[in-house]
Amino acid sequence: MRKDLVGTRLAETARRAGIACFAAVFLAACALVYAALTDDFSVAYVVNHSNRALPGPYKFAALWSGQEGSILFWCLLLSAYGFVLRLRHKVDQRLVAAASMVLAGIQIFFLVLVNFVANPFGMMRTIPPDGNGLNPLLQYPEMVIHPPMLYLGYVGVAVPFAFGLAALIMRYPGEKWIHITRRWTMVAWLFLTFGISLGGHWAYNVLGWGGYWGWDPVENASFLPWLSATAFLHSVMMQEKRGMMKVWNVWLIFTTFMLSILGTLLTRSGMVSSVHAFAQSSIGAWFAGDYGWFGEPWHSMPWAYPGFLEIIFAVCLWFYIKNRDHLRSENKLESLVSRESSFMFNNLLLLGVTFAILCGTLFPILSEAIRGYKITVGAPFFNKVTIPMGLFLLFLTGVGPLLAWRSTSVGSIRRNFTVPAILAAIVGIGLIASGWFSGWDLAKFYSWLAFVIGTLVAATIASEFFRGGRVLQSKLNTNIVFAMYHLMRRNMRRYGGYVVHLGIVVLFIGVAGLAFNKEQEQEMAPGTQLKIGHYTLVGQEYTQDDNANYTSEAALLDVYKDGKFLTRLNPERRLFHASGQPSTIPAKYSTLGEDLYVIYAGLNQDTGHPIVKALVNPLVSWVWIGVLIVTFGTGLALVPNAAPIAAQVPKAVAVAALEKQDMQPAGVSK
Amino acid sequence: MKQLVRLLLLPCMVLLFMGADNQEARFQNLGGKIMCTCSCEQMLLKCNHVGCPNSARMISELRTNVQNTSNDEAVLNWFRKKWGVTAVVEPSTHGFELMAWVLPVAGLGLGLLLVIVLIRNWKLRTAPVASADIHLNPELEALRARAHRETEI
Repeated sequence: MRKDLVGTRLAETARRAGIACFAAVFLAACALVYAALTDDFSVAYVVNHSNRALPGPYKFAALWSGQEGSILFWCLLLSAYGFVLRLRHKVDQRLVAAASMVLAGIQIFFLVLVNFVANPFGMMRTIPPDGNGLNPLLQYPEMVIHPPMLYLGYVGVAVPFAFGLAALIMRYPGEKWIHITRRWTMVAWLFLTFGISLGGHWAYNVLGWGGYWGWDPVENASFLPWLSATAFLHSVMMQEKRGMMKVWNVWLIFTTFMLSILGTLLTRSGMVSSVHAFAQSSIGAWFAGDYGWFGEPWHSMPWAYPGFLEIIFAVCLWFYIKNRDHLRSENKLESLVSRESSFMFNNLLLLGVTFAILCGTLFPILSEAIRGYKITVGAPFFNKVTIPMGLFLLFLTGVGPLLAWRSTSVGSIRRNFTVPAILAAIVGIGLIASGWFSGWDLAKFYSWLAFVIGTLVAATIASEFFRGGRVLQSKLNTNIVFAMYHLMRRNMRRYGGYVVHLGIVVLFIGVAGLAFNKEQEQEMAPGTQLKIGHYTLVGQEYTQDDNANYTSEAALLDVYKDGKFLTRLNPERRLFHASGQPSTIPAKYSTLGEDLYVIYAGLNQDTGHPIVKALVNPLVSWVWIGVLIVTFGTGLALVPNAAPIAAQVPKAVAVAALEKQDMQPAGVSK
Repeated sequence: MKQLVRLLLLPCMVLLFMGADNQEARFQNLGGKIMCTCSCEQMLLKCNHVGCPNSARMISELRTNVQNTSNDEAVLNWFRKKWGVTAVVEPSTHGFELMAWVLPVAGLGLGLLLVIVLIRNWKLRTAPVASADIHLNPELEALRARAHRETEI
């Protein structure tokens, strides 16, 4: 009794300590932001990442633009998640207490980093009159929200990880931890999705190479936990509904968290070279250990020691071995043609893509360790390896949800797939007949497949809504639109998931446009014409500007489409005073069909005329629309279900039906 | 059903064997596999520096190689030899670099094997673990079947 009381009081003390930790870290983050906003150049971090002329929002963004600040930001977000978790402890006090303990362990690691390795409050010996400024690539409005979104995703994964590990340590009965963490995982996944797409949008608008995804190691680092979290979100349904794949799920969430830590390591350590150009530092040793044999740029110690990643892995492995009998499956697979097996193949492919990207990202390190030189693994490798798997995944997106749990009959398959398959075939043949795909190559073939499979998936989703709506329509005696709305409100998770799948289809269609990109580079003297696709660009003038933050050069170009004036574009290049670094600001004319994307490539010193590169990128807008649909669908899936509505059967009909069956209405005794 | 599958597969098979084999397509394709060595970390044909010390020369070398050599791998090897292995962003298909191509396929194959073993074990299991001590209630089973019918459309 007394032991229980002491335990309860200790748990409450720990809970309050966690809340106090949030308050302390929040205060520290506020202090750093205040120092940046007030140009306090006695703080070394402010000197390195801000300057007087920097606009206010970017001074605020300085909090996460450097190594030390970003680690503090990690701490802040982790403690904020912990704070919310501890406020909601009544959902299950014992499990939340154990999960909080795991979170506290992670928090301690990052606090050690902030205090002893990457201190953001280091002071200057002499106070300079101005700072070095923010990296020009980060001086873009989206950069104020992209890193927080991504970090919210990375850090958010820690919560389901903590619950998963805590449930394993406690041998927690049932699937409650899955129910509790479902929303946490979805929120983390949503932030990751949004963060990654904002990064892509930023790259498209700032990096000036005309694309949104370059398979850069830092981009890959954010994509890896997204892929494994997606696999986890699907496979937990098998555990919830059928009590299967418990070992798989626990290891998936462990892997997802370890990948998010690996992402932080790759971004911050300089292990791999990246256009995002983060400096090399010794912080990698804290994450990955120091063994002196695996391409470690931080290697310094004569002895080997493990890092945070190895410790996490060892802890997970230890408790898995100790309590693995607790994770025994409760059911067996009854048929290969079932929802369960579709989830298994979905997981296999998602993890296959994860593994392929991980191999490609880490292969230069492996090559350096074994062969003594770092080879480059770029976009062609990743495209070759991942596109076929991605298309097959897209196919499963359409097929999986239509298969029933346990087993699916041939009749059901025929009923569900005939119309979508016919529609997909019509689209495929129609696209060939339209001549869009003339001059076939592999890229165009993949693009064509994306359209065909996308149609199949969109049609299966639409048929799911329609058939469900029709069942409810007859029960509720209402119209199909209202019936579909109620169908969705009754199972927000399922139908929100379908909306997410639809968003993925739209995103794939957007990516399929890459096969049709065109580009042209030309010197643009006044009156010179550059023709690309339907567009004609006519050079007007070359301008220069100078302000406190940067000097800029720009070309003014009039854009005509099929001979008709459309707009004026001014692609620009800026040179920032504080850092001396250049930045490209492309000019765009976007429509749903295509983007005209113009880059100021430089000035021909001999003639004094600007050189511009113009690109026509088809369907890019659909990528952003797809992401918005995915975000909307995830939001829907997070909304609780509405209570079922009683069917509105006319009273006379109901009474007659009951009399016919010799029954009484509910609550009336014979 | 079979006819429908054939109808879907036919264009795929036809298209698989149709490859554009013109010089410009090869130039663009290879240009996307070679990195500019000026440290801009961009693909050769995407490097947008004016006054870049390397890209113009490399692009002209690529054009000459595409005209003189019909083997793409030979062109890439020429660039590896002249500009170093880091100039080509696609690992070679022989020697140590072959491992980069083999690893993802091997990983996927291993995963597939794991899934097959897992499914086989499940199929071989005689009875569900949880159902052993559950006394089936016919009324409850009927309700469950109805719920299953109405929710699994």
